[in-house]
Amino acid sequence: MFRPKLLLTSLAALALGACAPSDPQAVTSAAIASQVILPTYSRWVDADRQLAISALSYCQGKSDLDTARADFLHAQKAWAELQPLLIGPLAEGNRAWQIQFWPDKKNLVGRQVEQLVTAQPQISADELSKSSVVVQGLSAYEYILFDADIDMANAEQKARYCPLLVAIGERQKALAEDILSSWNSNDGMLAQLSKFPNQRYADSHEAIAELLRVQVTALDSLKKKLGTPLGRSTKGVPQPFQAEAWRSKASLSSLQASLASAQTVWAGVDNKGLRGLLPKEQKPLADKIDAAYAESNRQLAALKPPLGDLLASEEGRQQLNAFYDSLNVVHRLHEGELAKALGIQLGFNANDGD
Amino acid sequence: MMVTDMLRRQALGLGSLLLSAVTFGGWTLFARKGESPLLLSARDDGNGQHFAVGYHVDGTQVFATAVAQRCHDIINHPNLPIALFVARRPGTESYLIDLRDGRLLQTITSQPHRHFYGHAVIHKSGEWLYATENDTTEPGRGLLGVYRFVDERLQRTGEISTHGVGPHQVSWMPDGETLAVANGGIRTEAESRVEMNLDAMEPSLVLMQRDGTLLSKETLAQQMNSVRHMAIASDGTIVAGQQFMGPSHESAELLAIKRPGQPFQAFPVAEQQLQAMAHYTASVAIHNDLRLVALTAPRGNRFFIWDLDSGALKLDAPLPDCAGVGAVTDGFVVTSGQGRCRFYDCRETVLVAKPLELPAGLWDNHLHLV
Repeated sequence: MFRPKLLLTSLAALALGACAPSDPQAVTSAAIASQVILPTYSRWVDADRQLAISALSYCQGKSDLDTARADFLHAQKAWAELQPLLIGPLAEGNRAWQIQFWPDKKNLVGRQVEQLVTAQPQISADELSKSSVVVQGLSAYEYILFDADIDMANAEQKARYCPLLVAIGERQKALAEDILSSWNSNDGMLAQLSKFPNQRYADSHEAIAELLRVQVTALDSLKKKLGTPLGRSTKGVPQPFQAEAWRSKASLSSLQASLASAQTVWAGVDNKGLRGLLPKEQKPLADKIDAAYAESNRQLAALKPPLGDLLASEEGRQQLNAFYDSLNVVHRLHEGELAKALGIQLGFNANDGD
Repeated sequence: MMVTDMLRRQALGLGSLLLSAVTFGGWTLFARKGESPLLLSARDDGNGQHFAVGYHVDGTQVFATAVAQRCHDIINHPNLPIALFVARRPGTESYLIDLRDGRLLQTITSQPHRHFYGHAVIHKSGEWLYATENDTTEPGRGLLGVYRFVDERLQRTGEISTHGVGPHQVSWMPDGETLAVANGGIRTEAESRVEMNLDAMEPSLVLMQRDGTLLSKETLAQQMNSVRHMAIASDGTIVAGQQFMGPSHESAELLAIKRPGQPFQAFPVAEQQLQAMAHYTASVAIHNDLRLVALTAPRGNRFFIWDLDSGALKLDAPLPDCAGVGAVTDGFVVTSGQGRCRFYDCRETVLVAKPLELPAGLWDNHLHLV
């Protein structure tokens, strides 16, 4: 009884082509997809479902502003955790823009929300999906709940913004559910990161390469999210309003969520992350990357006040610059030594074409 | 001794197979029946060393010649086994390579106050070459450097205006006499890739004669939409791939078409595909027999194929850092800066991707098939 069952199981596994023990890259890719990425996407869907409920409940007067804000922060955190995992459907077709509009150098979020609530005072989620990406996502949601010029305690103002708030909640929920279902569908993203070859990846190495590429892109993007408000590209003049989620003071907590998520791709669950692919002789590199994450986490943990407050003082800016430098070490190690050790070419036309 | 004579003599020494190929003047030397076409491209190695490479599509390496500067497009001679690997903007060295063994025959250095823009064409006579160049004393003033094959060497004999700013790709119309030029519209200085005039870009599609006479100059609706690359069908249909320099959240017409006798206008690409391109297209190719147009969008990591006549979408596929694309008998070959190269079989309704046995990654933006 026992033996045939085992045989059947292993045959089924072979037929699926999954987890061939001879291919550590396939095992790692499948593990990162199922143990790290998919659970994070599921949390994001949950957070956006809650966001949709929360907007409705708040606008119907059944919950207070603090609760609405907390639900936003929860959704913002779930989104931040996705940053190093933007692979597949969510990374394509400009969809990320529909979730968060950053950078917003010209306060397009504020201006377009104001235009929209005037032009379409009773906007639906469906109509919203045809509007500019600037007003479809969390940035517009945050503007409504946190902007200093909006007083949601005022009934008239609340009535002005609530239809859009509810529409954004619905829109984000639908978007997240749509993305998750495209992960779970037949030959969907989960399958494509688990069974090779497929129409997306010619082999498991291509999948690992893309996982590292999105990781490197996310780490670079974290640097930008910190470096832009720090004024690193504006001759040292701080730009506090160019931080992500500055209105809700969630800039640093978002960075923290993204960094933690990046570290999970590296370390994996049960050591089935990118680190597990390094051969024994690369232990010094693995230790170096572990130490870089630890240092970056240590720097970040020391940043107690909100980003805006830190930017206002010389001491704060020094602390932020030190954190930036530590992020830079993490980024460079992934982009350089780790990519090389894993035999991965990160591509150069995308960033430096002609 | 003319380069023609020299190569013919060498060819004679290689036996009757090459003799017949050269004698007939066509490019049968490599593209013999049953033999995999030769794919030419610029490529790097993992250490950043630049190469001019030639591989058969079946994966066999013909040559990989180390070169000092990164190259961009490649153009082969119509009846000799040589090709020019053109310096990428703002490069100053283009390389004339022997396609049989990769030998560097000549390094063509740009004139003072000039640099290459990555593209060139050779006239069907095999005597003249035209390369897009920048006049850095008046940054962005578009030129075609005119070169002639004389005494084994390419010699620069003069230059003509492209009637536009920041020219990029230059191609032949089917008559082999009329030039099409994609003037990108962006001014850049010597040794720099920094755009100087994003608020006053002047992109255009120009048709001109070889003597420099302007035939037509057309623009697209969006001023910040840089016309960069072209493919031209045997019936004279021009398709152009754009790179949009405007705000990230705006939509831009990244593929355009000029059908014979019609104005230059947006190709009917659906919003979903436009959004997927991340405002950047790299290479565009036409399949004349199947009447298809293919486009790579490396920033969007996306590869597309449409029906050239109906505009119907045939393929919208993920392909990380997809770079060069070219037509082969049954479909398209695509290279990648990151992953493996693919062949897309386009004979059936459902297009199927097959990974090729070429080295993976580090392929530059263009490929050229002979």
